[in-house]
Amino acid sequence: MMKGFDPVTYAVPFFVLAVILEILLARFRKADANYEVKDTATSLSMGLVSQAAGVITAGLVSASMLWVYQHRLFTVPAMAIWAWAALFLLEDLTYYVFHRLSHERRVWWAAHVNHHTSQHYNLSTALRQTWTGGVAGTWALWLPLAFLGFSPAMILIQKGVSLIYQYWVHTEAIRRFPKWFEAVFNTPSHHRVHHARNPVYLDRNYAGILIIWDRMFGTFQPELDEEPCRYGVVHQLATFNLLRVAFHEWIGIAQDIGRSPRHLLGWLFGPPGWTPDGSRDTSRTLKERAGVPVHGYARPGSFLAPQADASEA
Amino acid sequence: MDDAFFVQMALSAAAVGLLVALAAWAKIAKPIGPLDEHKARALLAQEFPTRTVEAVWIASDGCGALAKSNGLALVICRVGDGFALRQIPWPQAVAATFKNGKLSIDLRDVAAPTAVIALPSWPPENLKGDLAA
Repeated sequence: MMKGFDPVTYAVPFFVLAVILEILLARFRKADANYEVKDTATSLSMGLVSQAAGVITAGLVSASMLWVYQHRLFTVPAMAIWAWAALFLLEDLTYYVFHRLSHERRVWWAAHVNHHTSQHYNLSTALRQTWTGGVAGTWALWLPLAFLGFSPAMILIQKGVSLIYQYWVHTEAIRRFPKWFEAVFNTPSHHRVHHARNPVYLDRNYAGILIIWDRMFGTFQPELDEEPCRYGVVHQLATFNLLRVAFHEWIGIAQDIGRSPRHLLGWLFGPPGWTPDGSRDTSRTLKERAGVPVHGYARPGSFLAPQADASEA
Repeated sequence: MDDAFFVQMALSAAAVGLLVALAAWAKIAKPIGPLDEHKARALLAQEFPTRTVEAVWIASDGCGALAKSNGLALVICRVGDGFALRQIPWPQAVAATFKNGKLSIDLRDVAAPTAVIALPSWPPENLKGDLAA
């Protein structure tokens, strides 16, 4: 297994302290946050088991990364500032692609959906992590970075930095940052949108650290004061059973394939909600029915006025 | 897997226990009271905007509701301090098991296996004529 400096390991105590702080601030009404006991237990337990689940595929991931790195195009110096700047941008773009695929293609949504199953949005939600990400194979999206010549250790560190950054945006305690910051970085406000199930917010704001990718690729949606976020998934879970939280979409895929095997590719790679006869809702049909933009975004104060192109902003 | 991994897992498990206990102590769940007809209809309108609700039966403990909409039953069940809603064929709801004042509806959904709704009787006495169809 690949040994190296993993910043996430060192960040875990701060994750715990941050949750404690958020709960105490909410308890003494100094910040907006809600914690429900079973929901919190589910989120944290999902995170705990996900650590163990990651170990199962870690060997394969490490071996693949090392093999690709041995066949790299260039050798990027680990001590050069430009190398880390390039890696920062490329890794963040890779995360955007990973995250978009994880929402827009059902097989990868099956691995990612559990992160969105809480009806709460707080720091414990950030820890509701996947058990099946390794099996889903999305880690392969990071292999091109090794092929370019970034060492596996550098990639691991940058992935860790990204994960740590994304932790603190899972909060309602922070409303908005100054405009320049909201324009460039993923923030609690942007990520609240990402976790909301309101039609206008579905499949938006995939950013890891930089929100610029969403702005560039037309998936940006600002949080609208007139449309408060309702968190969770389109079909909310009616259970806190960890196995159901972790595997319900995988089981749903298996059931659909069993019912209609000839539509295998559609069940796997169609958008979540896809059916051969269109009998279920997808993000697109929900948006169309609600009269909100399928492409582009709704501007603050003009909720129902579709904008043609996000790049106009 | 080395010892450090198991130590890390044990410490993480202890931290989970601590945080859950802290959340229980803080009592900062969303303040939702028992479901009444007004709230139930608002939830149904939000979740099923194209459906017309013909009748609603509210659970006596306020933890759920069941509505009829044409050939469908719209089910609301409480999950923690939130709700989950599903639609199922009406005959499936009518055929649900009713025992000791609890209607247990098999939702046939991995993510929402069963809805348990406390009702005085089932099928309801006011289910007559067209409503029974």
